[in-house]
Amino acid sequence: MPAGLDNLKHMVVLMMENRSFDHMLGSLKAVDQRIDGITDQMGNPDNTGALVKPQLLAGFQGQLDPDPDHHFSAVDLQIFGADMSPTRVANMQGFVKSYFNQQRDTAHSQKVMYCFKQADLPVLTTLALEFAVFNRWFASIPGPTICNRAFAHYGTSFGRVDMNPFDVIEPIKSIYTRLISARPKHTAKVYYYDTTSSTMEVVNLLQNQPELFGTYKQFLSDCAQGLLPEYSFVEPNYNDHETDEGEEVASDQHPDHDVQAGEFLIAEVYSAIKRNPALWASTALLVLYDEHGGIFDHVVPPNCVPDKFTATANDTGTGMEFKFDRLGVRVPAVLISPWIPKNTVVDRVFDHASIPATVTRFFELDATQSPREIGADIFIEPNVGTVDPGRNLLSLDVMRTDCPDFDV
Amino acid sequence: MTIIAVPRPSRKAMNPDRPTNCLVLAQVRHLQQAECRLPVKYRSEIYAHAIRTEGEAARYIREVTEAIHKAHGEAAAKRTRAAGARRGRPKVKTKSRKARKSK
Repeated sequence: MPAGLDNLKHMVVLMMENRSFDHMLGSLKAVDQRIDGITDQMGNPDNTGALVKPQLLAGFQGQLDPDPDHHFSAVDLQIFGADMSPTRVANMQGFVKSYFNQQRDTAHSQKVMYCFKQADLPVLTTLALEFAVFNRWFASIPGPTICNRAFAHYGTSFGRVDMNPFDVIEPIKSIYTRLISARPKHTAKVYYYDTTSSTMEVVNLLQNQPELFGTYKQFLSDCAQGLLPEYSFVEPNYNDHETDEGEEVASDQHPDHDVQAGEFLIAEVYSAIKRNPALWASTALLVLYDEHGGIFDHVVPPNCVPDKFTATANDTGTGMEFKFDRLGVRVPAVLISPWIPKNTVVDRVFDHASIPATVTRFFELDATQSPREIGADIFIEPNVGTVDPGRNLLSLDVMRTDCPDFDV
Repeated sequence: MTIIAVPRPSRKAMNPDRPTNCLVLAQVRHLQQAECRLPVKYRSEIYAHAIRTEGEAARYIREVTEAIHKAHGEAAAKRTRAAGARRGRPKVKTKSRKARKSK
């Protein structure tokens, strides 16, 4: 069996907020042509019809205020360029138009095309180039945060395409319940930043199973002491607040929060795992974003297996129903482990349903899965039977010793 | 081994007076729903509908999150005490249904 899979005992997922692939990692195409980032040939028309190209002008804070619209109807416009005909084809031409609708300001609307320079994001770009970067990881729904995060926890949003609370419909259970109720029992935890930031899964998980939650401080301590559960989901700090220990700046990177604070968080999570040699050898860390936040990306989201739910025309706000048969806009995603060859680029299609799908398969859990989760690809192969070397990302026979460190 | 420098966020980044974004507002709405299901003694005195800034949202989010943990913690402790009391109680021998019938 591959040594990386033999050693793998922990999976950690850090899910950030609202940035597209091209916005964060698009500049890497200039470094590695295999990375499907931005080129000079791309662009979006503004409200005057002028072509606005993606430019490496993104700032850490202050540009994307107001927050670009990313509710279902706005994302529909971004993907289809305002074409509402029955024969429409997705073209990713509506981002500037959509942002213009919020302020009717042509110059401001062009900022939604801005992308970061590689040097501005030393943490995320280094991890993308050092480990495995996904060219085709999409949000699960062309819509906002709550329903997309639901896919990471349950493999479905139970028919929701919006920010409202959703009801968990049995027999589907969260990935945490699947793990802790398995025989033999597994361990799982959601680490929110602190109680002042809390979680985005309030109504089901926090309200009914608060024992599943720990704080970010506890995550750091669990890493140091070797007490990390088999599966951990880490949430960033969602708001600026003060604590007894000082000021806590929001680290989720949700516009218009400071992107550098999120870079620091990613570096800290990586370093906390890496500083414990036993944990580093036995952990895979996935860093990704829940959705694109209304920001430009050039890759058309593919169709997918429909879920068994239908969102009504009223729910979508587009006048058309949605059968959960198309993925959302592409987001940055990087898988990190010392068993992954440096500079791996993955072209297979994933979405957030791939998270519970992968954990369920790897830990051999007996669970009812949604059609979307069943149809989702897995990013870590189960360590049973014959492992296909063409799919296994943790493929090295010997653990790497050249992985970077961050000064955090 | 390469050591990568990670810039710290600017001091100007901190702004608890920033208007809440739609995500934090949604989180507040979800917590309101959860708060309504808590026993009255755990509920906050913050009027959530009037929340406009991140700082205001943060105070409410903290109060309700901690209240949820407290309510569950106290319920679990009560359960444990009740189970302990049941275990400590002397067993009273009762006649089985079969024995009562035969009488």
